[in-house]
Amino acid sequence: MRRRGFLKKIPIAATAPVVLNGLPVGLLAQGQLQQVVSSSSNDKVLVLIQLHGGNDGLNAVIPIDQYAQYYNLRPNIAIPDNGSRGYIPLDSTLDIADQVGLHPDMVGTKTLYDQGKAAIVQGVSYENHNGSHFRSRDIMFMGGDFDDYLGSGWMGRYLDYCFPNYPDAYPTSEMPDPLGLEIGTSVSLAFHRDNGIPVAVAANDPEGFFNLINNTGGLPPESVMDTHYGQELQWIMDIEANSNQYADRLKEVFDNGSNTPGVTYPETYPLSAGRLNNPLAPQLKLIARMLSGGSKTRIFLARIGGFDTHGNQVESYDPTLGNHAALLYHISAAVEAFQNDLQGLGLEDRVVTATFSEFGRRAASNASYGTDHGNAAPMFVFGKAVKPGIIGTNPDLQNLAGNNIPMQVDYRQVFTTILHDWMEAPDQAMVQTLFDGFLDQKLDLFGSVVTSTRDEFISKRFKLNSAYPNPVRDRTTLSYYINTAVQVDIELLDTGGRRIRSLVSGHQQVGEHRVSVDLSDLRPGTYIYRIKAGPLDAAKKLIKM
Amino acid sequence: MASLNPVTGTLGTRRSAHILRRSTFGPSKSDISLFAGRTANQAISELFQIPATPAAPADYDTFKSWWIGQMLNSGRSIVEKMVFFYHTHFTTKEEVVQSSQALYHQNELFRYYALGDFKELTKKVCLDNAMMIFLDGRDNDRNNVNENFGRELLELYSIGKGPQIGPGDYTNYTEQDVKEAARVLSGYGNDEDFLTIDPVTGIPTSFVKNDGGTVANAHDAEVKTFSEKFQNTTIQPIELVGEDATVAATLDELDQLIDMIFNQDETARHICRKLYRFFMYYEITPEIEQDIIEPLATTFRNNNYQIQPVLQQLFGSEHFYDADNALAEDDNHAAIIKSPLELILGTLRYFGVTLPTAGTQAFMDAVDNGVLSPMGLQGLYLLEPYEVAGYPAYHQNPDFNRNWISHNHLARRYEYIGRLMTSMDDFGFQLDAVAWVESNISDPSNAQVIVQEMVDELLPEIITSARFDYFLNDILLDGLSMGNWTTEWFAYQGSNDDSAVRTQLEALFNALMQSPEYQLH
Repeated sequence: MRRRGFLKKIPIAATAPVVLNGLPVGLLAQGQLQQVVSSSSNDKVLVLIQLHGGNDGLNAVIPIDQYAQYYNLRPNIAIPDNGSRGYIPLDSTLDIADQVGLHPDMVGTKTLYDQGKAAIVQGVSYENHNGSHFRSRDIMFMGGDFDDYLGSGWMGRYLDYCFPNYPDAYPTSEMPDPLGLEIGTSVSLAFHRDNGIPVAVAANDPEGFFNLINNTGGLPPESVMDTHYGQELQWIMDIEANSNQYADRLKEVFDNGSNTPGVTYPETYPLSAGRLNNPLAPQLKLIARMLSGGSKTRIFLARIGGFDTHGNQVESYDPTLGNHAALLYHISAAVEAFQNDLQGLGLEDRVVTATFSEFGRRAASNASYGTDHGNAAPMFVFGKAVKPGIIGTNPDLQNLAGNNIPMQVDYRQVFTTILHDWMEAPDQAMVQTLFDGFLDQKLDLFGSVVTSTRDEFISKRFKLNSAYPNPVRDRTTLSYYINTAVQVDIELLDTGGRRIRSLVSGHQQVGEHRVSVDLSDLRPGTYIYRIKAGPLDAAKKLIKM
Repeated sequence: MASLNPVTGTLGTRRSAHILRRSTFGPSKSDISLFAGRTANQAISELFQIPATPAAPADYDTFKSWWIGQMLNSGRSIVEKMVFFYHTHFTTKEEVVQSSQALYHQNELFRYYALGDFKELTKKVCLDNAMMIFLDGRDNDRNNVNENFGRELLELYSIGKGPQIGPGDYTNYTEQDVKEAARVLSGYGNDEDFLTIDPVTGIPTSFVKNDGGTVANAHDAEVKTFSEKFQNTTIQPIELVGEDATVAATLDELDQLIDMIFNQDETARHICRKLYRFFMYYEITPEIEQDIIEPLATTFRNNNYQIQPVLQQLFGSEHFYDADNALAEDDNHAAIIKSPLELILGTLRYFGVTLPTAGTQAFMDAVDNGVLSPMGLQGLYLLEPYEVAGYPAYHQNPDFNRNWISHNHLARRYEYIGRLMTSMDDFGFQLDAVAWVESNISDPSNAQVIVQEMVDELLPEIITSARFDYFLNDILLDGLSMGNWTTEWFAYQGSNDDSAVRTQLEALFNALMQSPEYQLH
């Protein structure tokens, strides 16, 4: 599209009005320039994953305290409460009223939770929920009430505040990248501003995009008419100019970037039934690579479809298998790999990932092994900065609203919290984003001293207690607590780290465990006993008399 | 004010090209000159002649390329454009339906009613086998009502959703109405053998699940009570056997439901807005609503939901040709961004690019590689819209057909034009720029004439003289003189070596069509 090298990079400090090839270049007012610098000075990144079609939250996050009611509402699709494909109890340290089970294919989510890198927000929706996919999705993208009709989206308005005069004034050395990047080939309403082209670029293949842009197009016209035709023409010309501006950069960042060696992203659902290929993993893998390549893009939007499970949500012969199971696996496994990748790349401190869906599904199932459109559903928020835990409580399945799960949290409370507490958006940005009304209803999603919060969280759920008695004459009792059913290995080591013997080895259930071990044959001296169990890797000293 | 007053006089080139671009899959050069000498009414009467019903594809699995073939060869008829319109309106996804035969019969239904009774079509779509699968109608029974189709019938296909004005209240209907409609629609099954034939259309349809006789044993026979949006209408079986409705009574309930929906004034308005956005422009101002949509809706209702009078009134109006006022700012000429389908077929049809013989394997490969696959790259996967509402260009506020233009899709549109001139190996057809100029431009030895005649018809709007100079001097002449072109052309004529003129003509074709202007019509 730039065979003739049209539209050169625009100098940010231009001193006179400029028109380049008919495209008027807006000048940055003094204050705006400062605003750019101040509001984009941090490098926090938000990755949003849209679950398109309406995710059945109730089969993803199962209320353990109301299992019987849960089962009765949806006997043909209910996830069992026991067996190898029973739900995964998430956290037995919580109040029983808050305890949930995850779908058996959400092992990755459980792992991240145990590492203190995942939070669940229960019952997310908005007042007067709309049963339409399209309207509901639009509302969540635009960031409005049920009766708002905005032509712009909340991400668009937020980024428009941070980076005024887009697209004319960009790229700059401070912001060389697209403000938002949607993985795909088109841009959602979420990234639309009040006027002009959206703030995001859509790409799923930076290299192909670069080649494509460099081998197509001619010179655009230098002026447009003041008609509807002219307005459409201007739109196309702006997109074309924007493509030219960002194609090089996207490729450069992609080429500079890489993924963590040894981190494998999941490709397929290992259990044969359902939607086999993981459509999310390559998107997250690309995002990690772009970030490692130096991308300063602030918001990424990835998408996974197939959640509109009116029929065949589960296999008729096994409610733990089928389309929805595969989708939940795809998300959990892809996000886990993404998080490991970010950790390997040293980027874990910069990125928070959140899922959202236009609505949850009906609490009661239908006869087609599926569920119709419902209301509230849980959201998942992942990242090292996230304060782990569950926000909100289990829905009261005996007091549903028209068979629907009622709202506990407005979706804008979640996004407001993320923008304000994570992205560090100033209050004025929240005004322009139209979320200022939610500033006093933020959620406790990000602890203030993140590391200690997470360590404390983990040590409450996975801990090795002191052996008793210690010093030991003949026998001592080891005790430990685990929050996940995992392989537990406890070994006795000498002070030089050499392995003396195995004390415990086996797959164990959630809970407090006590094991009495006979050490009567051990020579007197100082020893170490070390436990490895899921995220737990701890050691303590033992004296043999 | 905007006006549907009939336009008068012969069309001339600009208006001829305009009506043909909007109402067909694009004119050829000769189509434009033919209609230029006609009045709007004469043009319309030809556009609305109903061609012979095409023979079914020999193998249903070739349905998609067969359908593209119908569009490519639809000449100066609006019928195939309407078939596509109905597909954008009553959308289905092949991925879900997974039956080429069911999709073909749905397409046949759209063609049967292309210019006819929209209300009847809506009723037949409720019974359509592909739709039964797509929106779970076949799983909707009295013990477990599945609302999927009932919701979309109201939200998308008929009365349309208004602003939400209260809990479960969408101005034109409520959540209660969705549930009650779903109950009316309960108890049907799709016919996988396609042996159930609709007596009116002769096209395979679904059936009422029954006990082997006349008892509809999966249909909800209780009274359905609609909200005040539908004047608290109740719908119930006219005939019961015990506590079950009869098959006839079940079908009668569908009649009652459709009558109830089409008795609301809003239904005609909703459909007329969709037609307006498809054929005219996406933005519906209060003025357009009052001066255009409302009278079109009145025409629609007064003609018992026949679609032809509505379209004819629009295509024959001053408004269609921007002749209703002297303002330029509200002109709609060339203000629609072409869909990938219109871009590709329009290009092939204008240049008369020859594809392999229809029905052959070579034709099917050509359509797959040279039409369907590039359309997908440009953002239109035929029969696989991203969502139930259809392709975003036809419903997604606020951008509507701007949705066709993303960074990727725009580049893919440009790329297609470039490929088209060297695509014989890839596509099985290609555009020969030299041959076309030789037989279609009045004086190919005159560079100015070439550019003028191409610009006039290929680009939808007048261009500036600077833009014209760019196409002529920078591109075609490559900075050299007019006389040089004449010499080059005659050298080609004398030697049959077209390499010099081909390079320059292909550059011109690329510059003209890999342009923002060519994306519009």
